[in-house]
Amino acid sequence: MRVLPIVRREYLERIRSKAFLIGTLVGPALMAGLMILPSVLMAKQRGKPLRVAVLDESGALKETIEDALRSSTEEGRRRFDVHATADGDANAVRERLKAQVLDGSLDGYLFLPRDALERSVAEYHGKNVSNVMDLGLMDRAVEDALIGVRLRGAGIGDERARDVMRRLDLKTVRLSATGEREDRGGSFFLSMILLMTLYTTVAMWGAALMNGVIEEKANRVVEVVVSSVSPTELFAGKLLGIGAAGLTQFLVWTAFMLALSLYGGAVAILGGLKLPEIQPLVLVLFVVFFLLGYFLYGAMYAAVGAAVNSQQEAQSLVFPVMMPLVFGVMLFPMVLSSPDSGLSVFCSFVPFWTPLLMFLRVTTLTPPSWQVLLSIALTAATVALLNWAAARIYRVGILMYGKRPTFPEIVRWIGRA
Amino acid sequence: MRFRESYTAGDLLRLPYSSAVDAPAIRLQGVSKAFAGHKAVIDLSLEVGRGSVFGLLGPNGAGKTTTLRMVMDVFAPDAGTVELFGGRASRALLDRVGYMPEERGLYPRMGLEEQLLFFAEAKGTARSVARSRLPVWLDRLELDGKWRSRKLNELSKGMQQKAQFIASVLHDPELLILDEPMAGLDPVAASLMRDVLLELRRRGKTLVLSSHQMETVERLCDAIALVSRGEKLLDGPVAEVKRRYGRNTVVLAYEGDGAFLASLPDVAAVSDFGRYVEIRVGEGGDPQAILQAAAERLRVSRFEIVEPSLHDIFVEQVKGHGEAAA
Repeated sequence: MRVLPIVRREYLERIRSKAFLIGTLVGPALMAGLMILPSVLMAKQRGKPLRVAVLDESGALKETIEDALRSSTEEGRRRFDVHATADGDANAVRERLKAQVLDGSLDGYLFLPRDALERSVAEYHGKNVSNVMDLGLMDRAVEDALIGVRLRGAGIGDERARDVMRRLDLKTVRLSATGEREDRGGSFFLSMILLMTLYTTVAMWGAALMNGVIEEKANRVVEVVVSSVSPTELFAGKLLGIGAAGLTQFLVWTAFMLALSLYGGAVAILGGLKLPEIQPLVLVLFVVFFLLGYFLYGAMYAAVGAAVNSQQEAQSLVFPVMMPLVFGVMLFPMVLSSPDSGLSVFCSFVPFWTPLLMFLRVTTLTPPSWQVLLSIALTAATVALLNWAAARIYRVGILMYGKRPTFPEIVRWIGRA
Repeated sequence: MRFRESYTAGDLLRLPYSSAVDAPAIRLQGVSKAFAGHKAVIDLSLEVGRGSVFGLLGPNGAGKTTTLRMVMDVFAPDAGTVELFGGRASRALLDRVGYMPEERGLYPRMGLEEQLLFFAEAKGTARSVARSRLPVWLDRLELDGKWRSRKLNELSKGMQQKAQFIASVLHDPELLILDEPMAGLDPVAASLMRDVLLELRRRGKTLVLSSHQMETVERLCDAIALVSRGEKLLDGPVAEVKRRYGRNTVVLAYEGDGAFLASLPDVAAVSDFGRYVEIRVGEGGDPQAILQAAAERLRVSRFEIVEPSLHDIFVEQVKGHGEAAA
């Protein structure tokens, strides 16, 4: 097999480059960051309890409210550090609290006007009023306390009151053929990350292939090589060698994600974080769709590379190649919101979009396996056809120097004997 | 070739391997090639014998490179046939050929050693075999060991040129095709290259050089073909080509103003080399008459009747061809 030296050369050249090393190692770090960061940020926001004080104009609610705040917890941790409020003239106290908030010794204070109980109103004054999670918690705690007071006024005991006021806990459960699990948005986040990874890597490795072809042509190495191996073998060798480098990177990433979902979960739980779970099937398809996408777009990229003399010339021809890929990304929201609609199903069967959209459907609402398999088969057939055409364009193009051919000219090369 | 029950002697001669001994290394018959209407090679026929050093000469744009590319099966000819070792170009036959194209091409960011092994592998030579041969070639071309792991773009032009040469010989070809082998070499490297080529010739290899450096060709080649504007003007063994031109050249060194020499009746052409002139004697002209005329008006320090140099033949033929075509 004369293709092997070519594959080997291309593969080694890629994986020995600094860009590969950085991409392969920084990629997982970035992905881990993207997966963990939101949880970390939320935890950090929740990290320190809010230092608050209660200013009650009526004077009757203060203790109840303070107790309610002290006892309100999120995931077993107290969220409010209630500071004592000095007695005295309400306005003077208010000024002092304001000063405390401004100098940073207090995060905020809760102001209950005289008619707070009747009108069910309260104000929170703080430097930061956008920490929705904590303020939501405060809202609930104060509301519950006020309702409690009212119920007690109506002669209903605390025990009864708590019974009556039990809140709704709405859990979202993701159903799939492999089972059901609670999901709090993590899986959406994960599929977006995987999808963007697919999109960028297919485009990136396709472009790497194109640049490799252009470089070989510009350096005139190609003439030496095709006096030894046939242009078709050279084409296949480059496609496979660069694809193998891409696959290596993908496998490193996938192994990393697998490790993260197997062991990282435990670490995350220790740290009080929640990570989205990754199904092995999704990972397998992640790799499969990368390969399909690479061979599909790579063929077109290679054909463009063979037709031009320089990377500058390639720009205008690359655009039509990139179009379907970019368009596929634009269809994400549509497929995401209704993965099983007729249009979504149809789009996921278009070979140019299958690697992205069928994968998106797999991560959101697992389609029947025949759909997945059929789409893979259709894409594979398209890959074969495109590579056949690209190899023929390549064969003519790599020894053609001078004026950049027009698109119709390039298409005619396919038919040339 | 399909297998048949019996073969005639003629069939056997046409088999790529059995005919290998007596068939010429290269045989072109009526080969033509055009690019976008421009005729690069027109009805070219030539033969390169086994073990010979063959010079393909011609001015820039004569079609030398296109011809060599067709031999290497980089292009297919529009018409005519190309044979290597008596057979139509095939992978097996091309593996026995080494090729150094005019436009040098190596991978700029690949290590020297790695790169040379790759090119040998691409020709079907096992990596281990190529690895064992490599030090010999690196030594012979005076490429120091410290450069082995360097990337190509860290090497000087001359070193890259040597690397390109090794890339074309590492698979130990029987036939070596070198497009402008001396171009870009300094005199020391050029003389080293000439020695290496002569060694290969002694080892029975067939060499084809394209060049317009007549001095190199004259020293190395047994036979030549001269092409211009895609057409062959002449070919044959160097000695025969010269004999065909006869002993009709006079070398004359003198003091004084020799401007009148060109207008002498026996003189066809004068080339001024500064310290001496080469005079081509016209048809039926007498070298002695030229000497007499010169001696009357100049102080002659050297007079010699010589064979014409390839340079003169080249210039004259190409000029004549250009005028005829114009």
